[in-house]
Amino acid sequence: MWIAGAGMTRFGRRDENLPDLMAEAALLAMEDAGIDQPDALMVAAMNPEEFTGAGNYGSLIATRLGLSHVPAVRVETATSSGVAAVYAAFAAIAAGLHRAVLVVGGEKMTHVPTPRVSDIIGRSIDPHEKSYGATMPALAGLITRAAMHRRGLTLKEFSQVAVKNHANGARNPFAHFQEEVTLDAVMASRLVADPLRLFHCCPISDGGAALLLTADRRAVRIAGIGQGADTIAIRYRTDLTTFRATQAAAEVAYRMAGFGAERVEVAEIHDAFTPFELISLEDTGLVPPGKAGRATLDGETAIGGRLPVNPSGGLKARGHPLAATGISQIVELCWQLRGRAEGRQVEARVGLAQSIGGLATNNWVTLLEARR
Amino acid sequence: MVELLAASRCPRCRRLVVPPASLCPDHPVRMEAAGVAPLGEVVSFTTLHSPPEGFRAPLHLALIELQGGARLFCHGTATEGVKIGSHVSVEAVDSVFYFSHMGVADRARLFWRRAGARGERIASIGKSVVKGVWNRRSRGDQ
Repeated sequence: MWIAGAGMTRFGRRDENLPDLMAEAALLAMEDAGIDQPDALMVAAMNPEEFTGAGNYGSLIATRLGLSHVPAVRVETATSSGVAAVYAAFAAIAAGLHRAVLVVGGEKMTHVPTPRVSDIIGRSIDPHEKSYGATMPALAGLITRAAMHRRGLTLKEFSQVAVKNHANGARNPFAHFQEEVTLDAVMASRLVADPLRLFHCCPISDGGAALLLTADRRAVRIAGIGQGADTIAIRYRTDLTTFRATQAAAEVAYRMAGFGAERVEVAEIHDAFTPFELISLEDTGLVPPGKAGRATLDGETAIGGRLPVNPSGGLKARGHPLAATGISQIVELCWQLRGRAEGRQVEARVGLAQSIGGLATNNWVTLLEARR
Repeated sequence: MVELLAASRCPRCRRLVVPPASLCPDHPVRMEAAGVAPLGEVVSFTTLHSPPEGFRAPLHLALIELQGGARLFCHGTATEGVKIGSHVSVEAVDSVFYFSHMGVADRARLFWRRAGARGERIASIGKSVVKGVWNRRSRGDQ
């Protein structure tokens, strides 16, 4: 399975509507691939009905792209919807149903007031827990406090993740935030969900991202892709400080690829809340248990470190237009593996992307490998 | 003496969940009715400073592990002095769970709101005393 083309919009506050953002990304991916007639279209959007008022998104985007004759399917797994669409394309090509499939995802959120955005994102929380006022930051706050207590995670460690990812975002022209932040500013930002502060949380962003997958040999292949699942209710979990869904997804992806974490040289990790980057690095086996915080403080995960993590800036700085995010992680890895990540280029042949759906209910791990 | 919270138990894996559910989250089998004592430990807690519409800031939320392993989501009136592992009691007021690391005034307010008939009020006051003793003991443990 090969990636023929990759493209994305700049993330951030955008004036364009969602179909236009998705079209911008899709056209870039098709141009990059040299293919403008895919056999099928996989569209990812988490909740365009509530954010934009429009539905039937597969057909809407196909028509907007001038591909109204191409069969289109909309795919959704909450905040990891983008990778779910990649998986659907991967499966269709692997099954021999199609040879070239266009995957495009996006979200348009910044035109909606923040409390309403939180409410819409909160639809992916267990309804009983949501009835207590639980929001994504609230659940992440619970997880962070538990991780500090049980795993010795420190405020400084998960604040440094924000510092690193903002520094990377400052080198990425596609990032929502292109300014560096200091550790002091992160640690002094206002409390959102104790112990999480504003600068530990990703922003609300608009954007689109797209990939063209093909059965024909190209520069980068998808070596493995895996999905993992966990309970939607946090109260049903016995361990708050690791994500079973990531661990299961990583196991499947490594098995499919035929190699393990030791070959990964760059990673894009779902840092919707900065402690999640540290938890996820350990869940994917990229860093030994309990070591991710220290590795971050020591600069091991910075660009130029042993294992650059989120050279794009991650969700924290690149931004998080929900269904675009998982695809944009793979776009970034593609560019990194093809030597086209100007300003933030790392040396790597194998990359790992990890995406979290909901509060880690539906996670994905994807492994990319550059052709020898 | 202590009123049990309604729960359900999976006949296959013995997992307890609160509030009751028809099917086990891990097995597609019908769960059996069960009750659990409203006493447990704090797994984690947080305070939301910009809670969603319909809630007043600051909103205190906690995840409590009850005796028997069931975990439940709770509101609290404060998290001052609460730690992970703190012993707390839990009660349902209008089907909403509150963990009680509460002051006397808060507890009384909740009981008076809940207890309608005079007999129930007396029972509630009795329970309040029991919980007060329990809480003092918990705080003494730390």
